[in-house]
Amino acid sequence: MNIIVLLKQVPSTETMIQIAGDGRSVKTDDVSWIISPYDEFAVEEALRIKEKQKGGIVTIVSVGGAKAAEAIRTALAMGADKGILVNDPATAGCDGLGIARILSTVVQSLPFDLIIAGQRAVDDENFLVGAAVAEFLKIPFMSLVIQEEIADGKITCHRTIEGGTAVVSSPLPALFTTQRGLNEPRYTSLPGVMKAKKKPLDIKTLTDLGLDPAIAATPLMQVISLKFPEKRKAGKIIDGATLADKAAMLAKVLHEEAKVI
Amino acid sequence: MNTEHESMEVDVLFVGGGPAGLAGAIRLMQKAAETGMNLEVAVIEKGAEIGAHSLSGAIMNPIALKELIPDFASQGCPIETTVRDDEFYFLTADRALRVPMTPSYLENQGYAVISLSRFCRWLAEIAEGMGVSILPGFAGKEVLYDPQTSAVIGVRTGDKGVGKDGTPRGNYEPGVDILAKVTVFGEGARGSLTKELTRKLHIQGLMPEVFETGIREVIELPEDHYFTTSFGNDLHFLGYPLGLDIPGGGFIYEMKDNQIALGYLTALSYSDPSLDPYEAFIRFKRHPFVSRIIAGGKVIEQGARTVSVGGWHTMPQLAVDGGLLVGAGAAIHHAPALKGIHTGMKSGMLAAETIHTALELGDFSQKTLGRYPEMLKESWLGRELYEGRNFSAALAKKMPARFIHLAAQYLNAGKGIRDMLPLEADCKTLKPAKGGIPDTLDSKCYDGVLVVDKLTGVYLSKTLHREDQPSHIVVGDPEICITRCYDMYRSPCTRFCPGNVYEIHVDEVTSRRELKLNPSNCLHCKTCDIKDPFGNVTWTCPEGGDGPGYRRG
Ligand SMILES: Cc1cc2nc3c(=O)[nH]c(=O)nc-3n(C[C@H](O)[C@H](O)[C@H](O)COP(=O)(O)OP(=O)(O)OC[C@H]3O[C@@H](n4cnc5c(N)ncnc54)[C@H](O)[C@@H]3O)c2cc1C
Repeated sequence: MNIIVLLKQVPSTETMIQIAGDGRSVKTDDVSWIISPYDEFAVEEALRIKEKQKGGIVTIVSVGGAKAAEAIRTALAMGADKGILVNDPATAGCDGLGIARILSTVVQSLPFDLIIAGQRAVDDENFLVGAAVAEFLKIPFMSLVIQEEIADGKITCHRTIEGGTAVVSSPLPALFTTQRGLNEPRYTSLPGVMKAKKKPLDIKTLTDLGLDPAIAATPLMQVISLKFPEKRKAGKIIDGATLADKAAMLAKVLHEEAKVI
Repeated sequence: MNTEHESMEVDVLFVGGGPAGLAGAIRLMQKAAETGMNLEVAVIEKGAEIGAHSLSGAIMNPIALKELIPDFASQGCPIETTVRDDEFYFLTADRALRVPMTPSYLENQGYAVISLSRFCRWLAEIAEGMGVSILPGFAGKEVLYDPQTSAVIGVRTGDKGVGKDGTPRGNYEPGVDILAKVTVFGEGARGSLTKELTRKLHIQGLMPEVFETGIREVIELPEDHYFTTSFGNDLHFLGYPLGLDIPGGGFIYEMKDNQIALGYLTALSYSDPSLDPYEAFIRFKRHPFVSRIIAGGKVIEQGARTVSVGGWHTMPQLAVDGGLLVGAGAAIHHAPALKGIHTGMKSGMLAAETIHTALELGDFSQKTLGRYPEMLKESWLGRELYEGRNFSAALAKKMPARFIHLAAQYLNAGKGIRDMLPLEADCKTLKPAKGGIPDTLDSKCYDGVLVVDKLTGVYLSKTLHREDQPSHIVVGDPEICITRCYDMYRSPCTRFCPGNVYEIHVDEVTSRRELKLNPSNCLHCKTCDIKDPFGNVTWTCPEGGDGPGYRRG
């Protein structure tokens, strides 16, 4: 079985995010990078399917800068077989749709039975790439999956929906996206890290893929600005000698300052 | 748990990706390339990435770097600023007196201000480019010995995915035995394996190692700040708040992008159990002279780490069969100059040269590896360390004896009035608490931006430990904590730990005291392992990859 995992390298969730001078992007010089956690579930699930099916090839596909190769290496260290990184400066300004188009072009050049992606990348939070890749490839799409099973050329998935789960099924090839609860990703083992160094990782540009950078990477959507949430004002502690005093004070403050009663 | 541990062979293993280990790995690859040797060299590092656990000042004397990578500037070495001039102050409670003459050891003009995290990341990239396997996220948990000869044969890495109760979880990943012809320990101050090794093989130094705990921040200042117009950009402070009887002091170094490194060191030889090094740090920051420099700033990173300052006489035996000790973990530190980076690097490089010879001879016994301490003695490093040999012991004296010892050492190349001035282990210096513990700083002094409390500091260190794992801080007998230690010293761990790992809770009903540990706050500074007066606390490595996440440490 050929499984493809779409993966994005993102700033670690502990990173203190600072908005860059242009007001539209995030400063990256002091950021530590990780695999987007939902994509890590995707890698883990792909490996479990491969193990269960007793065979197959897991290929990691990513679009990103030179550093993104580290994220792919981590996935290879977990046990994936090979990686493809589209590293092209033109992709820097790409929107989600553009990334999806590039990813689907890569995927089209490979044999595949199943594609797994994170439900969203935790940096841009677009919730878009998985669905768009499925659309470009004209294959079934299932989102927010917490359990799957493959049998007789079909995949059955449990999806989370508000208040419960839905069980859906589709023929392969198909694409599904991950939801928290699907699995607990494995650690990279030391022998795994050593082996990963020797696994194939192809670096490609847009031209290598037969895409015209001027068209493929021109965004339809642009980020205009990034903002932090408004700082919450400090709370007020109600003082008073007795409980009754405090209650009286609270009523007074609610009436006079907050003007809610 | 009875587990199979896979094993993996390398030629040389470096434990710890600090400046000492990384410089050693690079030197070894250089020597191997010169002689056409094909080597498998690995560096394991407990941090999630190289530099994540590196915390320093830091002003680097570039002498070792120039020897290792002469074209370091064109190789992109991350230097923050170059020291223009030094300023040396004596602080009283409300004033700063500029000391007209900087002691020659602290003349840093022309030296580099670096962030050790960034510097180590850069060294690691160079090492990786030369073929070294850089393995962050893997902690050395146990030293492996040859059962017959006690020769060091490698290190076992820690298990991953073990639950709090010690049972394996679904994603359990057992540690691996990394077997090496030579294992180099470069764990930094109070290395957990180094401690075990030196005790087991009885190779401790002539005198007990002594330490200082440093708390250090990176502060972002407004565009227009002190250093835009100052002469000096390397400031050192003595005096307030520790006074003259406890060694320690503060520093402020200019970094790039309107950032500064500000830190305060407290010698762990202090005797008053009520002392809290974190509070000393805050008091230093709030000194009028210092607050003026940092006004309008914002803390963007904080961290803590101990420094091994005892120097020469406290150095353990540096070579054993199959193993070498380098850097701060072996007390290799130039105490008078407050510098351990260049000394660590040089020790790693000399170790590497010795290992190269050993590989050529095919002999890894102490006889061959023993060339390393010999070479060290004869190098500039040996001379530097020897000159500083009595410095910490003199500092540990009270005034005015301290001043007399220091002055004599300054004048006669380190010998002073008495050579081999004795040192006392830091765990032995506490005096019983007199009554209660005096009030701590008013919590109102923490504004959450420029002056932050311990827990905010932990947050700003980006420290993370998976909660569901056995505590990596092992308290031998918790009963001692709530009885003898409380009675005598009022639980000094609750103060000397800068991460608030230790708390004493009193049960409301039974009024029984209880020790509560928050190991997930641990900054890996190792103060507890050093200062605990009952030797009841043992610091071990948590799951590999856990701990601080310094970017500018
Ligand atoms: C606040 C402060 C200010 C300082 N200022 C200066 C200065 O201005 N100039 C200067 O030259 N020096 C300064 N020093 C001292 C200097 O930082 C140290 O001497 C130096 O970092 C020692 O290098 P090292 O490689 O021996 O150890 P470290 O830098 O401590 O590195 C050891 C590495 O090993 C890792 N490690 C430890 N145990 C294990 C294990 N069991 N398994 C895997 N990995 C492990 C650690 O995570 C760490 O990354 C300062 C220190 C402090 C704390």
